[in-house]
Amino acid sequence: MNHILKMSGTIASTALSLFMFAAPASAATAETVEIRGEVIDTWCYLSGVMGGPDSVTGSAHHTCALWCAAGGIPIGVLAQDGTIYMVLKLEGEDPLAQSDSIMKIQSDVITARGQHYMRDGVNYLVVEKVVTNEGITNVNHNDFGVVPGFAIPKKK
Amino acid sequence: MNKTTTGALTFALLLVFSTTAPAADFSKGSKAKKWGLTAEEKALFTGKVVDIVCELSGDCPDNCGNGLRQLGIVRDSDQKLISVLKNGQAAFNGAADDLLPYCNEQVDADGVLIGDEASLGAKYFMVQRIRKDGRPKWNKTKQWTKAWKKRNPDAKGKGPWFRRDPRVAKQIELEGYFGLGAEVDKKYIAENE
Repeated sequence: MNHILKMSGTIASTALSLFMFAAPASAATAETVEIRGEVIDTWCYLSGVMGGPDSVTGSAHHTCALWCAAGGIPIGVLAQDGTIYMVLKLEGEDPLAQSDSIMKIQSDVITARGQHYMRDGVNYLVVEKVVTNEGITNVNHNDFGVVPGFAIPKKK
Repeated sequence: MNKTTTGALTFALLLVFSTTAPAADFSKGSKAKKWGLTAEEKALFTGKVVDIVCELSGDCPDNCGNGLRQLGIVRDSDQKLISVLKNGQAAFNGAADDLLPYCNEQVDADGVLIGDEASLGAKYFMVQRIRKDGRPKWNKTKQWTKAWKKRNPDAKGKGPWFRRDPRVAKQIELEGYFGLGAEVDKKYIAENE
């Protein structure tokens, strides 16, 4: 009897843990992190609008990444494990502040220190400091060309 | 098995089934256009437009940051914070200018949810039309280019905005189309003309 009660209690507590893990959070807790990854254009990467994810990163997609950042599409940091961190602030600046800061880091591999928030499956990052900037290390335009093909204007 | 055991097992099973239910379908009533995107689903839902930083951290400036911050929608039906990546325009435009007029208000939002939720943990939203909750008139989400013109009165000339945007032009001037310098551009163009 005790055995059955113990087992059912374990099942209930496991299920409760699963429930708590899967339930949407109504608030988020910040954690200080240091994330290394490539600065990406989240729309092209997540939507597949211009092809597979490998073709919409790096040098191949750099001009389009500039367009999307200037266009107000959220930028992200793509970590090596594939996690995407949506950037909500960059060294104190709001992302749509029309400054050059957000433009200068497009497609670069950076290490960003800041506050990480997780809410409803999305990772958000308030970048307090760009600790290192390795520049564009993903030199992939020889594999994919320029993406999209019209990013470099044709000579008239 | 006594009542206590049965009750505990029933509770456990209810919890498990409540968390493994299929993802909700928000397509009913949607008039969104599909774009052929990854794991694309039409979605029409009601929710509150929020400043995401404010929602997460409690740092809440007036009027959702007056257009300087990324905005999202907290969906009524499940209280999920939906990250909005894109408005309804075709040329690399975000959604903040279209959401800002509804800061902290209830809206109906119609568009497409995109992205593979199983691997990403979430889906992301492209809002194509929006209205105050329950109002008859929908507004297409195409405010970005108008707002860009106001922000860049000197960016005149022909062609789409992204060829005339001063910040884009400055960066390409500095580092080229591939971000690797003018020589790399020159070599690629010569080989691919």
